[in-house]
Amino acid sequence: MKKKSLADLVKFFQTDREIQQQIVKWHTIEPKEAMYAPIPASVHPKLVEALNHKGIGQLYTHQEEAYRMIKNGHSITAITPTASGKTLCYNLPVVQSILEKPSVRALYLFPTKALAQDQKTELNEWLDLADASITSYTYDGDTPASIRQKVRRAGQIVITNPDMLHSAILPHHTKWVSLFENLQFVVLDELHIYRGVFGSHVANVIRRLKRICAFYGSDPQFICTSATIANPKELAESLTEKKITLISQNGAPSAKKHFVFYNPPIVNHQLNIRKSATLEVRKLAGLLLKEKIQTIIFAKSRVRVEIILSYLQDLVKNELGPKSIRGYRGGYLPTQRREIEKGLRDGEVYGVVSTNALELGVDIGQLQACIMTGYPGTIASAWQQAGRAGRRQGEALILMVASSSPLDQYIVKHPEYFLETSPETARINPNNLVILLDHLKCAAFELPFSKGDTFGEHDLEELLDFLVEERVLHRSKDKWHWMSDAFPAHDISLRSASQENVVIIDQSDRAHVKVIGEMDRFSAMTLLHDEAIYLHQGTQYQVEYLDWDEKKAFVGEVDIDYFTDANLAVQLTVLEEDCLKKTALASVSYGDVSVRAMATIFKKIKFDTHENIGSGPIHLPEEELHTSATWFSLHKELKELTEDRIEQGLIGMAHSLKAIIPLHVMSDPQDIHLVPQVKATHNQRPTLFVYDRYPGGIGLSEKVFDLGYTVISEAKEMVTSCQCQNGCPSCIGTDTGSRTAKQDTTDLMTLFIESLAGDDK
Amino acid sequence: MSLKNKLQRMKPYISLKSATASTASEKNENNIDHLSTWKANQVSPFWLDNDYCLIREVHFPLSYKHGKYALEDCKKVIEAWQYSAVAHPLSTKRHKAEDLFFFDTETTGLRGVGSTIFLLGYAQFTSEGVTLKQHILPKPGSEIPLYVSFLENVDYTTLVTYNGKSFDWPQLQTRHTLIKEHVPKLPAVGHFDLYHASRRMWKHTLDSVKLSEVEKHILQFERIDDLPGYLAPAIFFDFVERNDPEGMLKVLDHNEKDILSLISLYTHLSHQLLGSDKKQTSEEKVFAGKWLHAAGDSQSAAIHLENALKMNKQNYAAAHELAYTEKRKGNTSRAINLWHEVAAHGTAREKRESMIELAKIYEHTVKDIVKAIELTKAACEAAYQDGSIKKIPLDAFIQAAEHRLHRLERKYCVLFPKE
Repeated sequence: MKKKSLADLVKFFQTDREIQQQIVKWHTIEPKEAMYAPIPASVHPKLVEALNHKGIGQLYTHQEEAYRMIKNGHSITAITPTASGKTLCYNLPVVQSILEKPSVRALYLFPTKALAQDQKTELNEWLDLADASITSYTYDGDTPASIRQKVRRAGQIVITNPDMLHSAILPHHTKWVSLFENLQFVVLDELHIYRGVFGSHVANVIRRLKRICAFYGSDPQFICTSATIANPKELAESLTEKKITLISQNGAPSAKKHFVFYNPPIVNHQLNIRKSATLEVRKLAGLLLKEKIQTIIFAKSRVRVEIILSYLQDLVKNELGPKSIRGYRGGYLPTQRREIEKGLRDGEVYGVVSTNALELGVDIGQLQACIMTGYPGTIASAWQQAGRAGRRQGEALILMVASSSPLDQYIVKHPEYFLETSPETARINPNNLVILLDHLKCAAFELPFSKGDTFGEHDLEELLDFLVEERVLHRSKDKWHWMSDAFPAHDISLRSASQENVVIIDQSDRAHVKVIGEMDRFSAMTLLHDEAIYLHQGTQYQVEYLDWDEKKAFVGEVDIDYFTDANLAVQLTVLEEDCLKKTALASVSYGDVSVRAMATIFKKIKFDTHENIGSGPIHLPEEELHTSATWFSLHKELKELTEDRIEQGLIGMAHSLKAIIPLHVMSDPQDIHLVPQVKATHNQRPTLFVYDRYPGGIGLSEKVFDLGYTVISEAKEMVTSCQCQNGCPSCIGTDTGSRTAKQDTTDLMTLFIESLAGDDK
Repeated sequence: MSLKNKLQRMKPYISLKSATASTASEKNENNIDHLSTWKANQVSPFWLDNDYCLIREVHFPLSYKHGKYALEDCKKVIEAWQYSAVAHPLSTKRHKAEDLFFFDTETTGLRGVGSTIFLLGYAQFTSEGVTLKQHILPKPGSEIPLYVSFLENVDYTTLVTYNGKSFDWPQLQTRHTLIKEHVPKLPAVGHFDLYHASRRMWKHTLDSVKLSEVEKHILQFERIDDLPGYLAPAIFFDFVERNDPEGMLKVLDHNEKDILSLISLYTHLSHQLLGSDKKQTSEEKVFAGKWLHAAGDSQSAAIHLENALKMNKQNYAAAHELAYTEKRKGNTSRAINLWHEVAAHGTAREKRESMIELAKIYEHTVKDIVKAIELTKAACEAAYQDGSIKKIPLDAFIQAAEHRLHRLERKYCVLFPKE
């Protein structure tokens, strides 16, 4: 039988009755024509020739604008969706400048090592074509010692990642004199990745970089590229602390795209429970993969990736080999990843199931179809994922399959919200004290501080004197010198909140135990506890023993039909209130809190039916967290409501707000947590806490304090428009048990809305 | 909330690693604490623009003994290099003893820009003896006087260090870069790094080639009441805070011994290479011979190896090495004899290597292809056995040997087609 083409399948999706019933919205994005500008006259003939050779006779408008702005000395941020030729935005002006003056140096920063490798290959091909004798090197953990010295002395373009800059380049800056003396450009690719904790760290690394540059007498321009977010200019400016010119008009063309919102059928009308998104994705992906349509399937968690992967490999094992469908996520080893990326480009791999790891610019070529298992959490990331599908010719199919989570249901019922609203704001807080102090130590190690220096917003002298008291620095007259035998960058990881990762060790074969991955500490509490089922490349492992002190999880391969899901119990107390908005009805506060979290029990959940088939306790110590939070307290006496009903209302409100907040604050879902308390310890009032999951906070709950009215209004609208009667997983969750919960939730929210009316800007 | 309170709250999350000591006291600008104690220990200040560093200067007579050598032995051995035909990287031919700059530092950390050098110590020969100077950083901000005094008052072109090539000198360059506007330039220097020399000579016989181990087992110098080197940074931090010289005096003493050991060690290594150590063991002669061979002086290498073999007929390592030099000289029959000895009695590695070497000679020089095949087979066999017992992969060796065997067998078929 002849394989169906993508066009055939699009037609099938549009006509098949069963599928058609579940499609909420079919949005076709018409192909977009390219907008061109001529290659500027100042570009070196060699480069023009190389461009022509690659079939580029003119530039897209955004590339030309970037070139012009950079040559005029501006720092820029260009908005560049997937596959819009962003690399030329920086490569053209940088290479041109080096051709004009060979002593010019550029530093390229990519969020991951893989992206850096990709870029080096692409850049070098182009430099070869142009016959330009410009040296570009990657500098990372894999760079052989033999060429490191050459990179440091002679590399005109040095390609690396922020972690390497932080721990290997800046603390050894005296070995990089020729780079820092002549540094004219710093390229920050995938700017939108630098948000939250990671972004706050990177902003401080850039402060250190600028400080070293100033010491050697250079003042580089910054060239940033970003996915579509609400505040690219603001983000770039807070990361680089420089004035940034925004280039938002993109001239690249795009293919015709079918953006399909798919809501799985309701299986229980009373409880408004829908069929699992995972199972629906299995069905839809199967249809595509059987026709050998190259498809990427995104899932939100590592566990989901592995579950869907094992489903799909099973489904098509007779048609396609097992290697033709692969998983891809953090925790896989680099060599595995490279192999999968290559397979996708070569077309040997038809399907890939990935976490958002493949959202970034890793080069996997353009695929034909994209399926999202649930809304990815942010508008920006949904567009990035969608951008993975769409070859120049032909069309692309993008399916978003909603889960029963309230956020998904909100999106699938308001597709216009997704299609029309501007994407989220990316927040960073470079002045988080914990993060700032970490980097202040590194900075003092790199160069002594003098009176009058600045570093961040706080009073620098007070911070430095604090470090003197803690015997890390020594003050003599108006200078602060490093005074410790430690190497501070070594103790600071830019990526993970808890710094220490748990290593996962496979001991199925006792004679050959091997490390198969790693995981951050907080996730490990709920994913690697004793008896947890851990999935890796579709293989199931059971955790035999978690050595919490040594940060090692010993696992063994198993073959069973369930996965595990753990609960986290949280206690919370207010330490200090910094801001307060209060009426007679209610109040909103922002301040510092202490959170104590403990993993309590885990459930075993059967694969296909998702029924609960058992549980067990988790014995891990409590983790304590001091962070910033916003809390909503009710002051009106609600005589008509029992304490129990107020609690149900608060739980419902927490559930719906958790869905809405990420629409406004760009964060990973686990970065922000909500805890309801019917009698808060500090004021004895019914209170709902929203806190950042990083010591000291990274600005997420602060934003919620500013936007209290908006988020609660939207949450209320979401709950009231839900079709269920008494509350369901899509609106107020299932942790509430009573018939009145839905009504109580909206009543409470109404009170807050009235109290906060007119507050937001 | 005030910044101070916030800092206290966030303290558990901020990784703070540092030395512990009592409260700091600001140094009096023109008045150096404990100056009399310093002076009693040959230390005096060097002033520059209201800032200063401390310099200790001591003199040793040529007859001063450090371990088994006197300082004058070093002078003598440098003299001996002048008339020796031995060519080697450690040779000081065309150098005067006064040119050598025995150099060692103490630092606050092991790597990175922030690792401060707080002690620069060195010794140089004079006509009467040896002068040892130590430039001491009194507090972190005073690096300018430290480096000015160090760079202006010394004349040096050739360093002698222990691991200074990859540690002390690069770290000095690093710290120098930070203040290069204010201090003289760093000169280009020659460098004898005795750490690499010691590794070559003793890595098989000593547990570690730390300087203290070499002192103890080779130079017969035992340290008494010596401060362990790893405590030096903590003592410096304590000194910066309390100004009490007591601990620093111990660091100075430790550094002084390190530097004097460099002199004795250079003496000893020279004797090894010149073949003038009467107590040199047969094994040491082999190492020296191998090293000379690697450095390109096969002639001197052969002399050492002959001597080693003379001392001990069963020194098959010497016989093995000597066979190579004999073969190169065209002395095939001696090479064959030596290698047959080694193939019968040497270590597993020496056995299989000598069999291959013999196979080469039989094939190309003696033209006995049957014998060559036989020996190659035996070498393969030995390698298989050795590889399986020790679980070490000998892949490269086996691959090459098998390749040789196949080639030989093909060649045999061509030469004797009927069989």
